[in-house]
Amino acid sequence: MHENIILQHEIEQWLYKESELLDQLNFDGWYELLSEEISYTMPLRINQMEKSKPDYSEATLLFDDDSTTLKLRIDRMKTDMAWAELPPSRTRRNVSNVKIKEVSENEVAVHSNLLLYRSRSTDTTADLISGERKDVLRKENGDWKLVSRWFLADQTSLGTRNLAIFV
Amino acid sequence: MTTTSTKQVPRLDEMTRSELIQYLKDTVKPEEGLIPSYIFSHPKVYELEMEKIFLKDWLFVAHKSEIPNIGDFVTREMGGQSVIVTHGADGEIHVLLNVCTHRGMKLCRMDNGNQKNFTCPYHGFNFKNTGDLIGIPFQKVVYGETMDKSKMGLKEIRHDVYADLIFATLNSEAVSLEDFLGDIKWYLDLAFNRAEMEVVGLPQKWNVDGTWKLGSDNTISDSYHTLVSHGSIAKLGLVPTGDYSKYGYQIYTGNGHGLNLGMPNPDGFAFPESLIDEYKERLNEDQYDILKQMKNMIVCVSPNIMILISSMDLKGQKISHTSLRIWKPTGPDSMEISSWMLVEKNATEEWKRLSEQAFTLTFGASGIFEQDDTENFTDITQNSKSPYHLQENIVFNYTMGMHQKPVEDFVGPGIVYKDKFNEANSRAFFRNWLDQITAE
Repeated sequence: MHENIILQHEIEQWLYKESELLDQLNFDGWYELLSEEISYTMPLRINQMEKSKPDYSEATLLFDDDSTTLKLRIDRMKTDMAWAELPPSRTRRNVSNVKIKEVSENEVAVHSNLLLYRSRSTDTTADLISGERKDVLRKENGDWKLVSRWFLADQTSLGTRNLAIFV
Repeated sequence: MTTTSTKQVPRLDEMTRSELIQYLKDTVKPEEGLIPSYIFSHPKVYELEMEKIFLKDWLFVAHKSEIPNIGDFVTREMGGQSVIVTHGADGEIHVLLNVCTHRGMKLCRMDNGNQKNFTCPYHGFNFKNTGDLIGIPFQKVVYGETMDKSKMGLKEIRHDVYADLIFATLNSEAVSLEDFLGDIKWYLDLAFNRAEMEVVGLPQKWNVDGTWKLGSDNTISDSYHTLVSHGSIAKLGLVPTGDYSKYGYQIYTGNGHGLNLGMPNPDGFAFPESLIDEYKERLNEDQYDILKQMKNMIVCVSPNIMILISSMDLKGQKISHTSLRIWKPTGPDSMEISSWMLVEKNATEEWKRLSEQAFTLTFGASGIFEQDDTENFTDITQNSKSPYHLQENIVFNYTMGMHQKPVEDFVGPGIVYKDKFNEANSRAFFRNWLDQITAE
């Protein structure tokens, strides 16, 4: 029990740290939290009637990234022409309902909710991206690294002008 | 003391319909390259667009590969109206108004699926996937012999198919799809008839506070913005630096349709080599010759379709991807983008996978090309809402390339300009738009 509480705390703190780095636009710092083997995907939410079928499609991915393409995205932000985030949006990633699903020798599967608030430019209405994360973290050289992120948004038609931000 | 001014803000909302049409004719001057700001967000202009363009034109609703089997369906929106596109029990494609003929409830509220029948959630009227009404709960009790079910089928929307693209129109008097598309078909062949194509998954959708017109305007003529709007991509080395986006042709084929064709391709053939026989079989010699040299192609089918073939270097491999999107108006100053990714059905799994990844990385909702465009669309639309723009009749400059003459030696149809840095296609697009919304 004691070990579980410590692990829960460690993973929660890792997720909060990750949110802080992204909210503070420290993308290089964020990249250091990722395993070289990372799979970073976002399937498409769909309207589906039959409860037996998943209400998302993995044939269509809104993010379909690995460490190479994530690096490209980050390097792009550093150019002075990445207009979608120039000036940057203000974002708050609220991570909650952190549930550790599986623990193996050096990996944990963790599910959580993400409520991402995005304020862009002078807009008085903010964008909200709400959804579910399924992550796998792995201990690499003593540090937890993100091996897999799967994010499913709750909207079928996203209420934000683009996904120039990480989820 | 108060500040006075004799300047009046034209009150478009107080004008009669014919005064408004006259005002548009007086202020929108496509041939002079003068496009007034107010058209990008004024509610009265939007009303005209909905009525005279989106209720009149042929609109894209689905690709045939989305409904390959009997019973397959997708729900789509056209002209502000939900429709169900079905592969009916009779083997035919049907485009059905998603409105129960009894009391108007939306019949189907799923994005896609496979069903024989659609049952209304309100009172249980039951329709076949061909639109026929086949069941009414307690029919004998509630209607006696007075209900003729054969007259109560779902309203069938006129539709037709070209290059596996299913188009529909809410206008029973529209010209044929063939005539509406005209010579743009030659280029649609390059995108969708070069090989058997299939849609990957379902369309991605996202929402932008910008007018749909800016999407079409950007699509039909604007390779010039690539230098700056997409400058970050060249800085990353994903595309060549400098004026690479200039090379090729700008082509207008009429009815508001046109394209920018980027060629030659310095990286060589952008499509799977394994499909060369299929390409040669399906395209004519001239078309295949263009395909061989293509770097990219961006086509606008009016009013609001964008078709894109784009090639790039990803992970040391050259790869191309093909997509279709609609700029769906959701208000005078807003739109929803729906974007379909397509791939050659007979390509290798490895090629398909990389093509999908290239598309998502560059032109999906998170695309690193895509995302910078939405800034332009949003901020131009928001700027245009100020009454000051009406008061001063602020106009934007679309005069680029007016000194250029079309070339005669290109193999494809249309009015063709060498090099893509030109606003000729936007001038033609807005002429077509103006003629449509001011038609009596």
